[in-house]
Amino acid sequence: MTSLEQLQKDFVEMLSQDSPKFEAHIAAQSGLAPQQRAEIYQNAYRIRLTKVLEQDHEMLGLYLGDDLFEEMVKGYLAIYPSCAPSLREFGNRLPHFLSSQSPFKEHGILQEIALFERLLLRAFDAADSDTLQFTQLQSIQQTSWPNIQFRLHPSVQLLTCHYPAVESWQALKSEQSPPSPENTTERYWIIAREQDKRTGFYALSKCHYECLKSIQSGLPFGFVCETAAQYTDSEEQGMMQVMELLQKGIELGWLQSNIELLQA
Amino acid sequence: MSNTPHPYIGFGLGLRTCYFEEILATQPNVDWFEIISENYFVDGGKPWHYLDQIKEQYPIVMHGVSMSIGSTSDINFDYLGNLKKTIDRVQPMWISDHLCFSSLGDFNSHDLLPMPYTEEAIDHLAQRLNIVQDYLQRPLILENVSSYLTYQASQMSEWEFLSELHSRTQCRYLLDINNIYVSARNHEFEPETFLDAIPQQAIAQIHLAGHSDFGSHIIDTHDQPICDQVWRLFENFAKTRGPINTMIERDDNFPPFSELMAELDHARAIAPESWSVHDFA
Ligand SMILES: [Fe+2]
Repeated sequence: MTSLEQLQKDFVEMLSQDSPKFEAHIAAQSGLAPQQRAEIYQNAYRIRLTKVLEQDHEMLGLYLGDDLFEEMVKGYLAIYPSCAPSLREFGNRLPHFLSSQSPFKEHGILQEIALFERLLLRAFDAADSDTLQFTQLQSIQQTSWPNIQFRLHPSVQLLTCHYPAVESWQALKSEQSPPSPENTTERYWIIAREQDKRTGFYALSKCHYECLKSIQSGLPFGFVCETAAQYTDSEEQGMMQVMELLQKGIELGWLQSNIELLQA
Repeated sequence: MSNTPHPYIGFGLGLRTCYFEEILATQPNVDWFEIISENYFVDGGKPWHYLDQIKEQYPIVMHGVSMSIGSTSDINFDYLGNLKKTIDRVQPMWISDHLCFSSLGDFNSHDLLPMPYTEEAIDHLAQRLNIVQDYLQRPLILENVSSYLTYQASQMSEWEFLSELHSRTQCRYLLDINNIYVSARNHEFEPETFLDAIPQQAIAQIHLAGHSDFGSHIIDTHDQPICDQVWRLFENFAKTRGPINTMIERDDNFPPFSELMAELDHARAIAPESWSVHDFA
C-alpha cells in the first residue's frame, strides 16, 4: 500500500468507524489539537448525512421524535454508510433497516412511512414522458382494444400498506396527530408526478390497484379487464371500473402516450 | 487539452432550486449560472424542467462535488458516464470539480477531503486528470477546497502544490477565495501569498462565498453573506489580474434572490473596468 493509499484509508476509517489511527497523519499546529481537527471532519460527515435523512424523511422524523430519529440515523449510518456518489440514494435502504432492526422493526408503520417517502422521491426524480390523451383512444378500433398495451408513466409508484402510514404522513404534514398505528385492512396507493411537476398521491380501490399492477407488468387491455372482473361482481362491473380508471389515469397523467397494439 | 484560452463570460450565480421560478419570471442581469452537476443525474422532473428553460437564456457552467479525482480507488466510470450524459444535454461552457478525494472504494464521505501536498499526490492527480479528461473529451477545472488540518506528509504549501500540478498538466483552477481565506485562518498563512502564487493562465474561475466563524477555527459553510475580508481579498487580487469569471456561491440558508444579486453587483462594482461584460445584443 502506498503512503497516499494508507492516508486515505485511515481518513475514511476515522469517519466511518471512529478509528484513531488517522490522527498520526495530522501535523501539530497552533490552535486546535489534531484530534479536534479530525473531529471537524467527523462531525461534518455525520451532520451532512443526518440532514439528508431529515430532508428526505421529514414526516418520519416528526413521527419518531428527535431522540428516536437520532438513534435511527446512528444505527443506519453504522450498517449502511453511503456507497453512492449521489446523496439522493443514501436513504434507499432505510425502509429495510426499519423493518429489520430493533426497536424499529416492532412498529411496522415506520417501515411503511419511510417507504412512502422514498417513493415520493422516486416519483419526483423519474424520467419525463408524454402522457396519454383522450383523443388517442378515439382512434383505436373496437376489435383492437383487447390487444392494446398501455404503459404507466415512469413516475408512477404503487404502494400497499398494512398500517395507516400514508394517513399518518398526511396528518403530520398538516400538523395534526396521526391515527393509531394498528395493523388494519390493506390500503392501496398510487404516487405520481402531476402536470406541474409536483408529486401527488391518491388512494386506490383494490380493483384499481390490481388493474394498474397488471398494466405495470405489461399485460394487454383484455387481461386488465379480466383482472378487474375478478375484483368486482361481474364482467360488466369490471369493465366499468376499468373505464373509470382509464379516465382518471388520463386526467392525472398516470399513463404514457406511447400505447402499443400487440399482435393477437 | 487545456492550451486553448479559457473563455471570459463575466459574473455568474449558483443556480439553486428555490430561485428557478424567479429567474424565469424576472430574467435577472446575470451573465451565467453554475449548476451542481450531480443534481441533474436524474432522469426527469423539476430540475430538468427548469434547467431546460434557463439554459435557453443563460450560459451554464457545471460544477461537480463527487468525482473524487484524488481518490486512490479505481476511477468510477459509472459516475463519469452520468457526468458525460449530463454534459451532452446541458452543453456547459466548462466543467469543474474539487481538488480533493471524497470517496474510497464503496465509501462516500460526501465531503471534500484534502490531499496531502506531496510529489506522490501530484503524480497521482496528473495521471487521473489525464484519464478523466480523455474520457470526457474536455478539460476539468479544479477547485481548491478549504481544510482544517495539515498532513505530516505534506512537502510543500498548498499554493506550491497547485502551481506544480499546473506546470505538469496545464490544468486550470477554480479559485475559491473564501476557501483560501478559511484555510489561511485555520493554518495561519497569508491568503495573498496563495493568490499571488497562482499564474493568470492557471485560473478559469473564481468563487466568492461565506463561512461560519467559530473563533478558534472557521468552516466553509457557504450559508452566509460574503465577509468583508473576502471582498477585500477579491478586490485587491482583481486589480492585479485580467478578467476572470467570477461567481457568488450560496449553498444553504438561501436569502431572497435580490440579496444574491446585490452581492453580484458588488463584485461587478469592485472589479476593474476591464472585467465588465458589455451586452452588444
Ligand atoms: Fe466553492
